Amino acid sequence: MLLAASALGGCSDEGGAREGLVVSGSTTLLPIAEVSGEMFGEENPGVSILVSGMGSSAGIESVSSGSSAIGTSSRELKDAEFDLGLYDTPVAYDAIAVIVHPDNPVRDLTADEVREIFAGTITNWSEVGGPDLEIGLVNRDEASGTREAFHKIVMGDEPFYRGAVVLPGTGQVRAVVAEVKGAVGYISLGFVTDEVVAVGIDGVAPSEASVVSGAYKVQRLLHFFTMGEPEGLAAEYIAFVLSPAVQETVVRDAGFIPITAKEVSGD
Amino acid sequence: MGKRWANRIAIGTLWFCGLTTVAILGAVIVYVFVRGIGQITPEFIFTKPHGVNAEGGIGPTIIATLYVTGLSMLIVTPIAVLAAVYLAEYAVQGRLVNAIRFAADTLASVPSIVMGLFGFAFFVESMGLGFSVLSGALALAFLMLPIVMRATEEAIRSVPRYIRWGSYGLGASQWQTVSRIVLPAASPRILTGLILAMGRAVGETAVVIFTMGQAIYLPLLPTDPGRSMTVHLYMLAMEGINMEAAYGTALLLMAMVLSFNLSARWLSNKNRRLQG
Amino acid sequence: MTEQREHVEAAPPHMGSVLKMMSRATYFREAALRNLFLLCAVAAVAGVALIFVFVGVRGWPVVQDPGLAAFLFGSEWSATNDAFGILPLVTGTLVVTIGALLLGAPLAIGTAVFLSEIASPRMRSIVRPAVEMLAGVPSVVFGFFGLVILRPVVAALTGGMGFGPLTASVILAVMIVPTISTLTEDALRSVAPGIRHASYAMGATTWQTIYKVLLPAAKIGIIDATILGMGRAIGETMAVVMVAGNAPQFFAGLGEPIVTLTSQIVIDMSYASGTHRTALFGLAIILFLISMGLVALVRTLSRHAERQG
Repeated sequence: MLLAASALGGCSDEGGAREGLVVSGSTTLLPIAEVSGEMFGEENPGVSILVSGMGSSAGIESVSSGSSAIGTSSRELKDAEFDLGLYDTPVAYDAIAVIVHPDNPVRDLTADEVREIFAGTITNWSEVGGPDLEIGLVNRDEASGTREAFHKIVMGDEPFYRGAVVLPGTGQVRAVVAEVKGAVGYISLGFVTDEVVAVGIDGVAPSEASVVSGAYKVQRLLHFFTMGEPEGLAAEYIAFVLSPAVQETVVRDAGFIPITAKEVSGD
Repeated sequence: MGKRWANRIAIGTLWFCGLTTVAILGAVIVYVFVRGIGQITPEFIFTKPHGVNAEGGIGPTIIATLYVTGLSMLIVTPIAVLAAVYLAEYAVQGRLVNAIRFAADTLASVPSIVMGLFGFAFFVESMGLGFSVLSGALALAFLMLPIVMRATEEAIRSVPRYIRWGSYGLGASQWQTVSRIVLPAASPRILTGLILAMGRAVGETAVVIFTMGQAIYLPLLPTDPGRSMTVHLYMLAMEGINMEAAYGTALLLMAMVLSFNLSARWLSNKNRRLQG
Repeated sequence: MTEQREHVEAAPPHMGSVLKMMSRATYFREAALRNLFLLCAVAAVAGVALIFVFVGVRGWPVVQDPGLAAFLFGSEWSATNDAFGILPLVTGTLVVTIGALLLGAPLAIGTAVFLSEIASPRMRSIVRPAVEMLAGVPSVVFGFFGLVILRPVVAALTGGMGFGPLTASVILAVMIVPTISTLTEDALRSVAPGIRHASYAMGATTWQTIYKVLLPAAKIGIIDATILGMGRAIGETMAVVMVAGNAPQFFAGLGEPIVTLTSQIVIDMSYASGTHRTALFGLAIILFLISMGLVALVRTLSRHAERQG
């Protein structure tokens, strides 16, 4: 048997040339897990890390059901998930940036304004000091951990406006905001490019420094969950992900802030 | 002269319809070609994606696509061909035949997303096959069954009756007639149908996404997971992280599907010429 | 494409008379093979039953939670609020399907009439392969095309972001053209040539012949073709999810986002669990019943037409 591991089948460690570790969950964490998994496989011949991005909830569900060895999540555990016995290893910081079209002169919003925009009560940029331009809301799908985190931090109890365009991918949100003058959306800070502008919230612009110091509030941790403390191959892989070899290259390339950054800044 | 003007305008409109259809196809092909051709390098076709932006190639997704398509055809062909033999050569009009045709028509019109969920519930979960090429191939086989059945039945029916009478006249049994005379005579058209069905399977997304999984993985065994080209294109386009690779994938996918269609067409033309 | 043509050819040579001249061994072999073929043919019936049972069993619990009425007539679909009312999705599907038919059916029928009545053999040899190849273009490619090319155009027209019923309808219209066109052309070709000749002989123009003679004669076939095209539009998934905007709200304008039954499944399926997942299987069974109903409708229409001559 070359490989007994299917994506749902767990991993086999008996007598084969290849050993598989199933990692599934957050699409936000997909690049980190995929690339580090590939590097890990190169360093450890005969090991393959099988990564699939299905959304944070699916990751948590699959690690608790034993389908996956590691469930990746871009959100915290919900109350109902606390008792599952999952062990949390944060692997990176992520700031969520509110983005607008470069031609939109608005560069700073208060947290309240952001909430009212996404709740659909503020519908024109002139209400927040911008031009007379209708606001085009771009939201993520409900599977998205980014949406969940944004909702929790920014929206509180307020629901999202239901008529917002829902796009199931970060890049799409960016592409649409880059094209439509009145559009506003939110994406991971690491995915912000010149095509769009990340606005400051309550006077604080998103950056590595403001995230690590905690001044920029719309931020979250990215997690690897395991059933109990990680063991064996899973532990080796997680240690690899936390090593500078991954943190300073892959994590940064993927647009996130290394989890090790806080220690460096002495906070 | 109203009648003649009405005629001209109407005919002009019909020309417009016909040409619009061609123009739409042309626009899709040209656009995908122009944007994608720069991507097509041996590296793109043969290596696997790497890096946070899925740079590099799409090799494993091509293999996964061909693998799942080939396997599903292997599963569906014998069943569909024999089913068509039954319908064309043995069946006598009645309730049962009606039920079979109704089922085949229904199967042909079941949305592929429904087939995907069915494949997930039945093959992936209930039968415990997991996200695998085998699950994907089995679910695709359901989708292909009515298509191959219909193509084969039409092929068999196009074989002239008198050939059969000749065979029976020489004392051949029904199976001898079917296997030695009718199927060989119908085989070029059956093959055409199979190739067209393969083109359809290659382009299928909603079925494989929930049965074969989304992991970029080079499948070796039928129990391995994989990501098809269509799923890869969908994910690249929606994530928007590497649009160049998305165009490249779209072009390769189109080229594959169109080459299946063109070879089917070529085969049937050649066959028509041979038969006079 | 569904075959409505009932088996009108003569039944195969009667087996009894052939088999009488056979040895026992041959007789049993023939009978065994015949049953094997029958078994294969019944696979189609078994397939439909399996789909119905497996999707149905997973979707059935919606009857208890959230309850059939809340499921079918609820006006909010929001997984985070545990609300699974499909009315917005149903209306979304309805709107894009109607849009697709309004745009696609005339184009497809026009193309079919062009192919069967007007085009020269040379022209036909260009247009017909194009129609068939259009059917072969993968739906993700259409979706991708719609997303990057059509959406900005629609955005410029409607002022929004270009996601919504208009974009989705245009893409779907293109996708259903091959289905409707091929079947309509079949229907037109099955009209006896003598009828055409009679019309021309009476001095009718080409258009009069088409409009007054051919289209009425092929009416049922064209209706069937349109119904099957409609089925295709209702069931299309990947292209729609890429351009519809996917907001679970009621129709709010041609350029405002909307969601359909199929695209909601794709968006939610990967993370849904519990009642949510059940509700998605509920959507799937509804889609299944719709497509089966449309096939039944087409078969009834065709049979009715056949009986009338």
